[in-house]
Amino acid sequence: MAEIFFTLALIVLESLGLLVALLISVSFLIYFDRKVWAAVMMRRGPNVVGPWGVLQSFADLLKFVFKEVIIPDGANKVVFVIAPIVTSLLALSAWSVMPISEGWSISNINVGVLFLFAISSLMVYGIIMGGWASNSKYPFLSALRSAAQMVSYEVSIGFVIITVLLCAGSLNLTDIVHAQNHGLGTKLGLPPSFLDWYWLPLFPMFIIFFISALAETNRPPFDLVEAESELVAGFMVEYSSTPYLLFMLGEYVAITTMCALTTTLFLGGWSPIIAIAPFTWVPGVIWFLIKVVLVFFMFAMVKTIVPRYRYDQLMRLGWKVFLPISLAWVVITAGVLVSMGWLPS
Amino acid sequence: MSLSLTGVGRQLFLKEFVSAFLLAMKYFFAPKVTLNYPHEKGMLSPRFRGEHALRRYPNGEERCIACKLCEAICPAQAITIEAGPRRNDGTRRTTRYDIDMTKCIYCGFCQEACPVDAIVEGPNFEYAVETREELMFDKAKLLDNGDRWEREIARNLALDAPYR
Amino acid sequence: MPKLKIDGIEIEVENGTTLLQACEVAGKEVPRFCYHERLSVAGNCRMCLIEVKGGPPKPQASCAMSVNDLRPGPNGEAPEIFTNTPMVKKAREGVMEFLLINHPLDCPICDQAGECDLQDQSMAYGSDHNRFYENKRAVEDKYLGPLVKTAMNRCIQCTRCVRFTTEVAGIEELGATGRGEDMEITTYLSKAISSELQGNIIDLCPVGALTSKPYEFKARPWELRKTETIDVMDAVGSNIRVDARGREVMRILPRTNEEVNEEWISDKTRFVWDGLRTQRLDQPYVRDLGKLRPASWDEALSRAAAKLKAAAPERVGILLGDLVAAEEAFALKELALKMRIANIDCRQDGTPLGEHGGRSGYIFNSGIAAIEEADAIMLIGCNPRLEAPVLNARIKKRANKGGCLIGVVGEQADLTYTYTYLGAGPESLAAFLDHPPANKQKPMFIIGQGALARPDGAALLAMAQKAAVSLGVIKDGWNGFNILHTAAGRVGALDVCALPGEGGKNTTAMLQGELDVMILAGADEIDMSKLGKTFVIYIGSHGDAGAARADVVLPGAAYTEKSATYVNTEGRPQMAVRAAFPPGDAREDWAIIASLAKQAGADLGFTSLAALRAAMYKVAPQLLLLDQRVVADAFALDELQRGAGEAFKSPFVSPVKDFYFTNPIARASAIMAECSALKNAQKLQAAE
Repeated sequence: MAEIFFTLALIVLESLGLLVALLISVSFLIYFDRKVWAAVMMRRGPNVVGPWGVLQSFADLLKFVFKEVIIPDGANKVVFVIAPIVTSLLALSAWSVMPISEGWSISNINVGVLFLFAISSLMVYGIIMGGWASNSKYPFLSALRSAAQMVSYEVSIGFVIITVLLCAGSLNLTDIVHAQNHGLGTKLGLPPSFLDWYWLPLFPMFIIFFISALAETNRPPFDLVEAESELVAGFMVEYSSTPYLLFMLGEYVAITTMCALTTTLFLGGWSPIIAIAPFTWVPGVIWFLIKVVLVFFMFAMVKTIVPRYRYDQLMRLGWKVFLPISLAWVVITAGVLVSMGWLPS
Repeated sequence: MSLSLTGVGRQLFLKEFVSAFLLAMKYFFAPKVTLNYPHEKGMLSPRFRGEHALRRYPNGEERCIACKLCEAICPAQAITIEAGPRRNDGTRRTTRYDIDMTKCIYCGFCQEACPVDAIVEGPNFEYAVETREELMFDKAKLLDNGDRWEREIARNLALDAPYR
Repeated sequence: MPKLKIDGIEIEVENGTTLLQACEVAGKEVPRFCYHERLSVAGNCRMCLIEVKGGPPKPQASCAMSVNDLRPGPNGEAPEIFTNTPMVKKAREGVMEFLLINHPLDCPICDQAGECDLQDQSMAYGSDHNRFYENKRAVEDKYLGPLVKTAMNRCIQCTRCVRFTTEVAGIEELGATGRGEDMEITTYLSKAISSELQGNIIDLCPVGALTSKPYEFKARPWELRKTETIDVMDAVGSNIRVDARGREVMRILPRTNEEVNEEWISDKTRFVWDGLRTQRLDQPYVRDLGKLRPASWDEALSRAAAKLKAAAPERVGILLGDLVAAEEAFALKELALKMRIANIDCRQDGTPLGEHGGRSGYIFNSGIAAIEEADAIMLIGCNPRLEAPVLNARIKKRANKGGCLIGVVGEQADLTYTYTYLGAGPESLAAFLDHPPANKQKPMFIIGQGALARPDGAALLAMAQKAAVSLGVIKDGWNGFNILHTAAGRVGALDVCALPGEGGKNTTAMLQGELDVMILAGADEIDMSKLGKTFVIYIGSHGDAGAARADVVLPGAAYTEKSATYVNTEGRPQMAVRAAFPPGDAREDWAIIASLAKQAGADLGFTSLAALRAAMYKVAPQLLLLDQRVVADAFALDELQRGAGEAFKSPFVSPVKDFYFTNPIARASAIMAECSALKNAQKLQAAE
């Protein structure tokens, strides 16, 4: 009995720790995001709150919290309020299976990948609910776009994950990271290094996954959901104050999740860049963070340099380009693995 | 959609994205064109048209004589003047001089129209306020602005004088 | 009829025309400062210089040279003058430069700026630079009373003001001292001008030397909304322009109407505007427990209507005031008809006008402009200087021309012109009853309210008519039998027959027998103490005697705040136009009367002003002829003999005790109060 209680307490404490760490890092990621865009535009970006403006996100947080919550008269109030909670809760819960370092995951379940996949599919509900409950044209249109977009890109994400599974032979995220300890590099006699990670053998899949992650999280150039010039703020038009904040939070946590998933699936998770002396001294969590920030940096750069897709282009890309390529790559990967006898045991 | 091999290769290896990325990185490290505003400030021309001020003569006498030319010229009709003889000496003075700063378009016609250089647009542009009412400037506020900015205003007028 | 050529245009003009007038006929504009059509020629500003062909080789002052002085060409061609030659241009520029030498550069603080002749003409003829580096002339400002402010540095010595006060206003109080640069306009003794027309020198002054003191620095001409309307301060119906800014009337200026006021208005007309702001009734009041308290329109109207309904029609009276417009009088008359109220009267001073003698029995039959043709004028019981200053200026103009005999029966007052004093009262008038016809072509009687607003008014009116017939005042082709009203609304109200109906009581009777309910439509001049316990409904614009006595006060609009027809003393209907809106909850009077009638259960048959007017024009079609003097038939005048009683012996007294306090608006005005106080002080001083 005591043991169960202890375990439970430990899980709660771990969750809380992760939550706090996650929220704080998300706030700095947002700041980082803005700084990157500003730098590319030769601006300075936020620079007033705190040294170099690092506390900008906290100021924004306070501002949102202290604003008045406005619920439109014609809105479905219950759904309207639930939608942002669903979004943010789902985004946060995805992190319960994320291995941050060797053994550092709250629950190391064997279907971790599937869990993440399910959670990210559920995210669309928050958007649909918010868009529908607002009882307004723009949010509704935006929600419809969003649903179609997320469903489309989940298909190719699914195939990408299948190729990874074929290579790793496990749905457990920790096992997937472990499986990347030996690959092309070790076959050449090198110590485990970045050459062993799946980004190299599955390079096209890596790119497709990255782009689909952009679409899945409604990031530019696929931010048709929130396209300012057309839909004002998309499904969030009618939102204000804390509910809006929850949507924003959910969105950025989901982006972080996608960055972490990319790291785990293709960039060797917490593994050092090369398993030799100075690199192995650095703790795995640092490696993990570095990789996540690197992927996030790419997310930010994409936003600054790529113009927004038209909706038909978005759909064409999802169904006519990514789907056949990823499908073909599943077949090719499987074929290569079988014919070369490289199937994981 | 042409399916040339080079085209596919270019797409597959994200050639355009990579070149755009490199270009972006070039700008990433380029010197910033913006200022670190509240701490650094840009150069202002002596002709800069900022917050309005009513000036006084060096002896403390207010310059404005209520001729209402600024009110007449104001294209946004932001200025409201009421005039009357001053109680102690019967000279023509304003009893009310209001500028609705929410209407003002900062065209500077008022200072051009003023025959006594009383109303001027000073160099101050940092006068954001918390309520709309505070942007309805009255005579006291404008005279106060004049007292506060007189040194800068006088310098700017002197600098610009040769070109008039 | 001399012919002449102006800039190549050949025209023919009347003998004695000046070159300047000839130029105007030819459509050539000649700048001028001292010349004024209605004043004598002074020729001292030199701005109107033109070139005369064949004349002396120098420019000529066109205002001072007659066309008869021009010499024809060698072969008998029409003489030629030019207004656009280089010589003329140079001459005018030179004159302008000299004028500006001593004129201060203070347009920004000058009230005239924006409507200044000197400003406008210096834009056209002035030089853009200065060649004068000496000190400018400095002149001390003069005190001219509470109405005219002086800034004598600006004076260009055109002497228009001097000529006006002497020739038109008839007071020789303004003049010039010194000569050349040292010439100054002054009152010599630094006292206020005593004329009732002094305000006109403000308009006449081509620069900002004489400006309006009450209006001092208040507004600029370009921010004023100008409305052309009609004055109601006296019964002349002067044409005025009301200048308003926002909701407030800022000043009142005259309009030119040769038939009525030429281009003069009295000081009361000009400066009464501050009375439009003070003492205003801006919401309905009802009297509870002896005190007036603010009420809603519904409450006030329903209380008034309940009293009206409850009272028997013969116990209800309606009294119309002096400023009631024809529309309101008509509405009240309709109200009386519908509710079978016979006690309605528009003559709160108790004159017998309108009872007999038809329309010609109560109007100024010959018309005001005909004064200039009259060769004999008898003023009976009236002091036109106080009752109608503008009309008095017209008589003064006639007197100046000479050849007109002016007699006065009544008060011996200073009328600004010389007259023969014929006596003080009815017995002096009686002397003319069987007088042989006067040896005059166009003799004229002007009968004032001083002779009529008394119990024996009907007898005096009959006596006057008899005398008029015997003297030849009323004859074929000439009707010089003129009633001079003092109330602007009176003729209009008489035109719509706002008079006691069958068996109805007139003002005097109404005030004697206590009635149950009394409607006072702006009637403030009656003795309120005679009303006793009567329930008084007051409709009016100002908190004056009537409102103070009233049990229900219904706030109405003043004359600048409504569209209304006023008929002047000569029977000329003129339309007043709304220049501003009534203050607070006040409404237009006709609408108040209509809703009062509706609440009291009487349907007046109109819900709009247009419908009211349509109904009114059926009753009084002459009101439709706006701005035209509707001549009345003189035959009916004989009827005046009916109902005439014995005349008393008491002398005639002018009804205007204090020129500045004749109506509620004037009584509310601080400027009028100041003028009145000054006038009374002067009177006291003169008595000592």
